[in-house]
Amino acid sequence: MLERERVAVYLASRSLARGSRTGLLLNVAIISLVFTNMILLPSIISGSVELFNEQTIDYQTSDIQVRPSEGEQYIGRVGTLLETINRVPGVRRASARHAIGATLLARNRSVSVPITALNPRDEVEVTRIHERMKDGEFFSGGERGEILVGQYVAGNEDTRRDLFASLGGVRVGERCTVAFANGVTREYVIKGIYETRSYLADYTALVTWEELESVIGGPVDQATEVLVRTDRAHDPAVVKRGLLEAGVQEEVKTWREAITSTVEDSIETFGIINGISMLVSLVIAVVVIFIVITIKAMNQRRQIAILKAIGIHRGVIIRSYLLQVLVICTLGTIGGLVAVGALEVWFSAHPLVFPDGELVPRFEPAALVENAAWLFLVSLVAGYIPAWRITREKILSAMRAG
Amino acid sequence: MIRVEGLRKTYRMGNVEVRALDGVTLEVTRGEFVGITGPSGSGKSTLLQLVGLLDEPTAGSISIQGTDVLRLSDDERTLFRLNRIGYIFQDYALVPDLTALENVVLPTLARGATERDGTDRARELLRLVGLGERTDHLPAELSGGEQQRIAIARALVNEPALLLADEPCANLDTRASTRVLDLFASINRELGQTVLMVSHEESHRRYFGRIVRLQDGVIVDDTGTKPSPG
Ligand SMILES: Nc1ncnc2c1ncn2[C@@H]1O[C@H](COP(=O)(O)OP(=O)(O)OP(=O)(O)O)[C@@H](O)[C@H]1O
Ligand SMILES: [Mg+2]
Repeated sequence: MLERERVAVYLASRSLARGSRTGLLLNVAIISLVFTNMILLPSIISGSVELFNEQTIDYQTSDIQVRPSEGEQYIGRVGTLLETINRVPGVRRASARHAIGATLLARNRSVSVPITALNPRDEVEVTRIHERMKDGEFFSGGERGEILVGQYVAGNEDTRRDLFASLGGVRVGERCTVAFANGVTREYVIKGIYETRSYLADYTALVTWEELESVIGGPVDQATEVLVRTDRAHDPAVVKRGLLEAGVQEEVKTWREAITSTVEDSIETFGIINGISMLVSLVIAVVVIFIVITIKAMNQRRQIAILKAIGIHRGVIIRSYLLQVLVICTLGTIGGLVAVGALEVWFSAHPLVFPDGELVPRFEPAALVENAAWLFLVSLVAGYIPAWRITREKILSAMRAG
Repeated sequence: MIRVEGLRKTYRMGNVEVRALDGVTLEVTRGEFVGITGPSGSGKSTLLQLVGLLDEPTAGSISIQGTDVLRLSDDERTLFRLNRIGYIFQDYALVPDLTALENVVLPTLARGATERDGTDRARELLRLVGLGERTDHLPAELSGGEQQRIAIARALVNEPALLLADEPCANLDTRASTRVLDLFASINRELGQTVLMVSHEESHRRYFGRIVRLQDGVIVDDTGTKPSPG
């Protein structure tokens, strides 16, 4: 029945054209704010998830993480494994890492953190810790007697500013005694301090593979993990399959799989907060539209009765109100998109600064569409109820209402 | 055309009962031009509203063109009004958000006319009632007489089989009244439209083929030539 839509459009367009401009603008402004509000929080959340993902890839897991199989402590014959992995298509480079428990002592303070041994020439290809040197330099290869520490291990001279136990603000060039879990104790010169801003990465220390071998007292062909960087064009999940097909027996996880266990919980929490915020926004939208249409229809009781009296179907009248709701929502959404666009420009230039990094809210098209769809849906329902109710009134009593 | 039997309408206001209609039986054949007169408060508007399906009687029956209209649903009544009845309200009842012209165009759109055809027809009718200009003004910007003529044009625009007019000339001068009544008479004659019109004016009597006189909610007089049914 397109007839009815046509008459509804006729009525709605006249009603909007002859109604108050300021009132309409106010309604549109409120819906714009509601929409912006609905979008902002999920954007900040997805921005922070994105930041966390990037940090995880760049400083912790690279694209693929290979770990000892179930029940094993080490990955054995790691030299051969590296060769195997490096031959798999889509692999740019693999880096073996060997973590060993240790206690660091300097400035009369001690810190227990895992020390990771690595091969710098491999490592710079798979993580970006070397780009985050706050002070000093990354290993160039084969260094002995030197150690790199994360910023939280180094800490501050004013230890009240530390988040964790630290070495009281040790500087590059200072000495540091390390007691390894195997009983060996060595003295190292601090070669550099790195600051990735990832809590996990910044509370570690690094030595070269050669240094580890000297501590163990012989060649080490065992790793606690192997990190694999894939070529940009290759999906880590596909490369992972390649690794398994090439006969890698160890536990292979893409960065996303590695992340889930730890982050899933916090993403879930984010999701709940996000849901509550969205609900509140929608409730505001419902209330606004409900009040707007109620007032409008109440003021037009007589007009509604006249329309019914001359034979305009009640459904047409309801539709004419819903069309007005649609116009308000469409303009409101456009206004909201403009606001979101402006925020995007602003945040790109002025990211939100968090202790663990700079966060740029990510406005995802899917979220925009989803939130707009919800906004329209609840608004239509909120407009329908008063329109339905008020158009139900008997003609004559409504006409006398004036 | 119209068959009304034992029609009663009682308004209840608190403990007071007002019997606006107290048992009205009336039959009107197609093509009649019936005048309804009677003192103020005698129930003329009430009768017209009931026949126009704007209200429901306390008792009695109404059938129009063979349809027992009291059995229709609300939506069916709306359609019935749209398709068969033109109603001129005592207080005009124009849509305040629509201009004079749009008020007249609207019923044609609801009947499925294109906006262009509807506008042409509306302009023609507004011209016939003597309102060729000021058609782009909102009702609030027009005089009572002008509004009344818009209401008349609106009621006629779909060429309804039944025209119900509640004092349509109350706010018109003699010239405009004559024009409107001549218009009613011509459509009554040429299109065979049935007309029920409320009026106190002695001067209108010559237009009516029949005059029904109400008093205290009952018909006290029913005189006139009844044309043969057709
Ligand atoms: N909604 C209402 N509530 C209570 N009483 C009503 C209502 N409508 C009409 N009446 C009463 O019913 C009676 C008939 O009213 P009606 O409007 O039909 O008179 P009328 O003949 O049209 O009078 P007028 O010539 O003044 O227009 C009057 O006594 C009036 O007060
Ligand atoms: Mg009256």
